[in-house]
Amino acid sequence: MASITRASVSMPSLSTSVNQSQRRISVMNSVSFPVSGRSMIPSLRLQRGLQVCCAAKQETVDKVVAIVKKQLALPADAAVTGESKFAALGADSLDTVEIVMGLEEEFDITVEEESAQSITTVQEAADMIEKLVEK
Amino acid sequence: HRRLPAVIPTPPVSASPFPNPKSQYCCLSRNFSAALTPLLPVQLPSRMETHLWYVVPDEVKSAPLLSKYMELLPQSERDHVLGFRGDQLQKSALLARTLVRTTIARYQVDGHLDPRSLRFKRNIHGKPEVEWETKDGFCPPPLQFNISHTSSLVACGVTMNSLIGIDVEEKRRRTKNNILAFAKRYFTAHEVEHLNAIPDSELQQQEFIKLWTLKEAYVKALGKGFSSSPFNTFTIRVNTAAQQASSGIAVETLDSPQNLTNNWQFALLELMGSHYVAICLERQETGGAGKAFPIKLTARKTIPSVEDELVSGTNAVVTIGGSVTQF
Repeated sequence: MASITRASVSMPSLSTSVNQSQRRISVMNSVSFPVSGRSMIPSLRLQRGLQVCCAAKQETVDKVVAIVKKQLALPADAAVTGESKFAALGADSLDTVEIVMGLEEEFDITVEEESAQSITTVQEAADMIEKLVEK
Repeated sequence: HRRLPAVIPTPPVSASPFPNPKSQYCCLSRNFSAALTPLLPVQLPSRMETHLWYVVPDEVKSAPLLSKYMELLPQSERDHVLGFRGDQLQKSALLARTLVRTTIARYQVDGHLDPRSLRFKRNIHGKPEVEWETKDGFCPPPLQFNISHTSSLVACGVTMNSLIGIDVEEKRRRTKNNILAFAKRYFTAHEVEHLNAIPDSELQQQEFIKLWTLKEAYVKALGKGFSSSPFNTFTIRVNTAAQQASSGIAVETLDSPQNLTNNWQFALLELMGSHYVAICLERQETGGAGKAFPIKLTARKTIPSVEDELVSGTNAVVTIGGSVTQF
């Protein structure tokens, strides 16, 4: 298989730990959140418009990551984090719908098509889940 | 097969720097700054025609050639390609952009043959379109296109004037979820019944994929985004008549008044025995009493700037649904 003659990985963060129950350290090298590390405690982050809200729990993010890895048949040690985009990982529209269906089952929620279309990253999925679970 | 090397010199085109199109390695390794072979022009589709172009990524093995393709793209598209995880995904993303640029350039709509100079934009719903330079009374012809790709196939459909949506999928694609559970959640009751009635699980899987590609093609042809046409708001009806070799396909929306559903016609093809290609077209004219003319299809397999192969009418392209005449 031919390869492109430039760097092929451009993900902004790398995970140094594969054990998802431990604290994960992220290395950010581009525009991203001001939070420099992740922990089990929900953290506050600033969004556009200076609204302060709660980011999804790490546990939720981890479950989303597991569902995404399963759907896309990624190895267990593949670097998938909140910032990971489904499309960049190789998800086409059928994969994305299957991922949403998996999330509905895992979290016992219903995701409307309009909302489903706006989920493009793991973090967005986790945030949406938390909003729906709260209801 | 009717194979047309895209490097045959004709008067306006300069002689190819590659004496043998297949041995790019020997020539390109000497001179990396050599441009890609000039593209051969092609005739625009007539109003009633649909052109289907496709690339098989596994057949494009030359790293120098892929680098040349990369050079055709603006920086934003290169970044987009490199944002995909891994060589295979990057390659099919690169081939998709290359296919659409080189194909549209070859139609010479604006008198140029330069894939680099094409600009693309998205309509308000996000559907990609060409942004033609409007200068000095130049009125661009209504070229329509749509792309679809998997890691094993990249395809582009082109028409004059008809809105078009295409979707490709591997025949043996399996869903992770149970098909009927998935269909009950996302498809319409009629479609669930249609799938449920198929006793063989392998055939049921294939029928599911066919329905999926047809539904995707319809939404992409509409060009209004998926949330405006959730999959459970329209039914794809496949009619199998014993006398016909291939079935008739139609779409029926649950809220019919707004969408005149006989505005759309469909083709379902089996490509190379390995992929389904669904095409949805806006109907231009009817043959009286609402009967549609068959879709006139020209299918070409291509390696951009290297070779084309006209495959319509061969067993590389088999019509399995809809009314299609292949040229």
